[in-house]
Amino acid sequence: MAALPRAIHDLEEEFAALAGEIPESPEKRAISLLHGIVMEMWRNLPGDGAEPAGGFPDIAELYRNAPPMEAQAINEPLPPGTPAPAFALSDPSGEVARLEDFRGRPLVIVFYPLDWSPGCSQQLDLYQQELDEFRRRDAELVAISVDSLYSHGAWAAVRQITFPLLADFHPKGDVARAYSVWREPDGFSERALYVVDPEGTIAYSQVTPYVHHVPDIYELFDALDQIAGVAQGR
Amino acid sequence: MTAPAYARRATPSTTRVPLTVYGRRWCGISQMIRRYLDRLGVPYEYVDMDANPAVEQQLSWLTGGRVRSPTIRVGDQLLVQPSTQELARALARAGITR
Repeated sequence: MAALPRAIHDLEEEFAALAGEIPESPEKRAISLLHGIVMEMWRNLPGDGAEPAGGFPDIAELYRNAPPMEAQAINEPLPPGTPAPAFALSDPSGEVARLEDFRGRPLVIVFYPLDWSPGCSQQLDLYQQELDEFRRRDAELVAISVDSLYSHGAWAAVRQITFPLLADFHPKGDVARAYSVWREPDGFSERALYVVDPEGTIAYSQVTPYVHHVPDIYELFDALDQIAGVAQGR
Repeated sequence: MTAPAYARRATPSTTRVPLTVYGRRWCGISQMIRRYLDRLGVPYEYVDMDANPAVEQQLSWLTGGRVRSPTIRVGDQLLVQPSTQELARALARAGITR
């Protein structure tokens, strides 16, 4: 497909340069809004390919208009070098997943506040998109929240999430407490990451400073690469 | 001999189409978009909006005040919090990908 016409490029450049020359006013705001409308119209031009099939896009996008979840972290994670606390939690199919099931490979444990919420939807979409990168590092990935296995099942179907979502449902938040990420005032966990090495020891841990912050995935990959480097050096 | 202004305007650009991601490190959609571009092998400039708050004023001017993370500049087009499918279409329109 051809690039945009040169004339539009020139007009865009002239428009951008005008920003500082127009004093703040309702008129400036109106001009800016009009430009914003033009930008949004580009998005609706017909595309070459169809949207991916499957899922429930209308429901999957509900989070975009959901109430925000914004609060500072109130916990510090367990430090690296600590033996990872044991857990036995159900996945959406009712199968129980235990920490020891993952012995021998790096395990990423994702604690997230709640199914269906804004930050959690984005975070788990990101990990689903990056599953090949986790596999390339021979790492397993599980995500834990206090939602029931039925909520996990529906949410995974809507978002097309294929890695295990585990239900820390009853006693509510027990595993989050064991991993020092329980938010008692809210009744859900911090947004936190643990990387457990193949021997069951915590190699990396992070509680995000705000619950709506998604951990930096480049930093997570670096942590996994370090574990792989340590294993190769043995 | 210098070409007239109208002729200069008609000349196709031979420079690389600018591709800039304005985002925040802790933003899930920013990370998805960056990783998507990484996988495509498409070079892009990343501008951290937290580290460069001055860019918000210009983004506000261009988007009608909708300053969101991420905002992607693909050539002359600005995409506010696009899906990867929307970004893919914009990259193709700009001739960055087929």
